[in-house]
Amino acid sequence: MLLELGRSLGLLAPAGEARALDHDKWVIDANRAGLRERLHEFWRYRRVLSYFSTRAVKGMYQGMSLGIFWLFARPLLPIAISAFIFGKVLAVPSDGVPYFLFFLTGSCTWMLFERGLLFVSRSFSQASSLMKKVYFPRLIAPFSAILPAVVNFGIFMVLLLGASVYYLVTQHEWYLVIGPRLVLGAAAVVLTLFFTVSVGLWTSVWMVKFPDLKFGLRYITRFWFYATPVIYPMSQVPPEHRWLVYLNPMAPLVETFKWSTLGVGEFPFGPLLSSSVVIAVVFVGGVWYFGRAEAAAVDDL
Amino acid sequence: MNNLTIEGLGKCYDVAPPEGERAARFSPRELVRGIRNRLNGATEEPVQRSKLEFWALRDFSLQVAPGTILGIIGANGAGKSTLLKIIARVTPPTVGRVVGVGRVVSLLELGAGFDAEQAARENVIMNAALTGVSRAEALQCFDEIIEFAKMQEFVNTPLKFFSSGMYLRLAFAVAVKMQPRILLADEILAVGDLAFQERCLEHVEQMGREGLTVLFVSHDMEAIMRVCNRVIWLDHGKLVKDGDPEEVVTEYQNVSWSQADVARSEKGRTANRYAEIMSVRLVSAAGNEVGAPNVNEPFCLRIRFRTLRARLFVRCAADLRVRRELVFRVIDEETRELPEEGIYDAFMKIPANFLSDVNYTAGVSLGIVRDGKEYVLVNYNALSFMAYSSDTAKMGRTQRVGLVSPRLEWSVEQVEVNNVVA
Repeated sequence: MLLELGRSLGLLAPAGEARALDHDKWVIDANRAGLRERLHEFWRYRRVLSYFSTRAVKGMYQGMSLGIFWLFARPLLPIAISAFIFGKVLAVPSDGVPYFLFFLTGSCTWMLFERGLLFVSRSFSQASSLMKKVYFPRLIAPFSAILPAVVNFGIFMVLLLGASVYYLVTQHEWYLVIGPRLVLGAAAVVLTLFFTVSVGLWTSVWMVKFPDLKFGLRYITRFWFYATPVIYPMSQVPPEHRWLVYLNPMAPLVETFKWSTLGVGEFPFGPLLSSSVVIAVVFVGGVWYFGRAEAAAVDDL
Repeated sequence: MNNLTIEGLGKCYDVAPPEGERAARFSPRELVRGIRNRLNGATEEPVQRSKLEFWALRDFSLQVAPGTILGIIGANGAGKSTLLKIIARVTPPTVGRVVGVGRVVSLLELGAGFDAEQAARENVIMNAALTGVSRAEALQCFDEIIEFAKMQEFVNTPLKFFSSGMYLRLAFAVAVKMQPRILLADEILAVGDLAFQERCLEHVEQMGREGLTVLFVSHDMEAIMRVCNRVIWLDHGKLVKDGDPEEVVTEYQNVSWSQADVARSEKGRTANRYAEIMSVRLVSAAGNEVGAPNVNEPFCLRIRFRTLRARLFVRCAADLRVRRELVFRVIDEETRELPEEGIYDAFMKIPANFLSDVNYTAGVSLGIVRDGKEYVLVNYNALSFMAYSSDTAKMGRTQRVGLVSPRLEWSVEQVEVNNVVA
């Protein structure tokens, strides 16, 4: 009895070496690891995550012969065209700031989501050849795909700053907010990232199972884009219908970001809260779903 | 104490249903029907899809002690690679479990986890991260790795300029310097040049003595016999034999290579109303069937066939191929008359010291002439076999290379004497 107690307390454990060996012990079985175990493993492989992330970014910008100019011109051109059509031709109101600036600000968060979702969705099938040969926690793949979208977001921020300086010079007006509410804008960006990965966890698996989704995804994000207040301000939506727009988790995020950087619209406290809950649910569900599907999906690749 | 214990391991793959069926399963109509079934209280949709299961590995148990260099042999599709993939965690098992102790390093495929755009240093760090070794540790043994791989002058070259041999050298060096307790190697040593192979095998042997467990999959029986101290033979996902290398390999060779039966041949027509090719085998000079012939001794290719009519004229022919490349075709110079119905053996004698020690595939044909018409029976894939050589000096100058390796006579004669004017 006492002996057993002592052993269980580790007092009578044999040699140090044997214990060290026990520590190195691993088990592979048909059951999936629990969430805690998976997160722990994810942390142990963080170096792989950072390596994959930087590689993804390098891959995106490698071989760009047009250099730094192109880096900014590429996203700027479509936005300028859209801004011209919606702002000038269709005269969509923009809460008192130049439409271009308004649209650019909305695009910052939206593009973070749209681009990110595209990258994350592709990540699983893209990493397939490696997955078939070496082991790493599969969750690394979707998470590492987000960095290129973040870099893209950085480029948008630079554009936003540049545009503001342009308006300062030409119109002698400084539109950007500098103040504590920027913290809320940053929070909206972080939430957007989370939301992107959360949705991506689902779509990346679907992408492997249903290759048709490759084309479908762009289609869906297009609709989603119009359901999100990027090209139009929330003030144009009749108040009794705003809750409908705010059902879309991206809407309060885009609104919050615009409110905190441009100072237009209002801070959507309630919708932001509800959207956070949705994001949390989608995220946890996504991790669960991804874990359930990853094994089968790898064999499918 | 074992450092690798496998209990009741099994891996089942769903063989994909035919394309049409697969598409139908996800068609809107099917989806609607599925939903309606659910709503109507049907618990499960009616089982209608042909779900084909394929067990790549089944009921597999094994205990491996530290210091074991375990050779894993078996025909293609026997489950060897699946086993390694499960232990490497690339694919999860369907049932069963594996318990192991210590770091596992796998060499499943050449250059897996390497980034061709990067140079050696980056790749070493990356590979280390994938095996759970920190950057600092990886950099510490970086010089050792480069030295072992003998690529000092290519340290800064991106891997895309490497030859496959260099890839292998780097991959192997990284793998062994990560100080694994269990090393998984899948046929990978087949790539390097002979000298490096030799070094790898030596190293593996050495590490085995130091307590490393190695799982070594190979079709190269000689390498298996040389380095392994235990061999398991898998067939269709099951363990057939486990034990002493010499014993298991010999039995495997005898059974597997002589089994390429005519009945199982896929292409060609092996029977008509006049005759039927029954079997194609290798037989030694003494008349015994052999699986793997020794090329240093003469042996025969034997075609056993049955005639179904009297008074037939037959002419035999055989092709020998290496990797689909025709090495030679030998046609009997005579057409032979077979007056009676019955079973006949045709022998093609292959002289000693003629074939090389590689894998051959033999195809045979039987031309039957009757009433002035010729009918041909063919078995394109009658037999494949691995010839081996019992030469003692395998390396160096007397080594057999080429698709055939005949021992032809050389002579050197003096033709002229140099008149050196003093």
